[in-house]
Amino acid sequence: MAFNVLIVDDSSTMRSVIKKIIKVSGFDVGNFLEAGDGLEALEVLKRDWVDLVLSDINMPNMNGLELIGKMAEDDMLKSIPVVMVTTEGSDEKVEKSKALGAAGYIKKPFLPEDIKVALCNIMGEEIKDGQTDDDESETGDF
Amino acid sequence: MDKQMMTNLKQAISSVLETMFFLPVQIIEENSLWGNWSQQGIKLWHVAVRFSGPVNGSFFLLVPVSLAQEITANFLGLDEANVAPSQESDTVKEALNMIGGYVLSQVEKADEFQIGIPEIVSEGQVDLANMQLESSNTLIIETDENNLAVGFHLD
Repeated sequence: MAFNVLIVDDSSTMRSVIKKIIKVSGFDVGNFLEAGDGLEALEVLKRDWVDLVLSDINMPNMNGLELIGKMAEDDMLKSIPVVMVTTEGSDEKVEKSKALGAAGYIKKPFLPEDIKVALCNIMGEEIKDGQTDDDESETGDF
Repeated sequence: MDKQMMTNLKQAISSVLETMFFLPVQIIEENSLWGNWSQQGIKLWHVAVRFSGPVNGSFFLLVPVSLAQEITANFLGLDEANVAPSQESDTVKEALNMIGGYVLSQVEKADEFQIGIPEIVSEGQVDLANMQLESSNTLIIETDENNLAVGFHLD
């Protein structure tokens, strides 16, 4: 069944890149939704059906950690998995993301396979071409 | 701190530019870049981002417009002719965000650092003389046919 993905990043080029990677990875995505910061993301989440959120941390107005904090307080939103896609890769930031309810993280810079593996882990889809994260970049799920 | 950050910066440049922008890079020691850029009237994107924590400062990136176009095309999978200036500026900001974030994630007390939002300082004829580049920690990066500079200032 197709799922809807919300990509949250203040960089429109980064949103485009992530969207393209998900598309070519063969996932059955219904709609791609985009937001430039946490505040915009909350508006989208209240307006549209979203199955998965990929969010940067370092953004203006409302950052990614604040976003998952707000989502956790909302009964309608708290079950939506959030994957952090971020340069903020210190152990504390990862642990803080986890404590706030993030389902996983992908550290920038990333390879296309990192996105693919993270989405497979979260959404339970099979990796179709058998590739895994056999590179030096870092991803994780909790 | 300077030395550790400089080491991290070298790793960050390779990691970010090669992994995300498919740009082969080589760090060069001799710096005649400022003079060449000034003499040839090279148009540049100048982007910077503040950071705070145990030490405060800023990262900066100087990229010729022509190279920014190439990087953006690689990043987005577009033809260079179809790259808009807004996409170029967004890409160079994101590149510096990733480089700065990588550097700070590798230093001691990484958890105590915060990085800001990258901003375009100027586009076009950058006043290199006023940037205090000689006193900053700067790396000159050689790519296939072009150069760029990345560095940081500590307050």
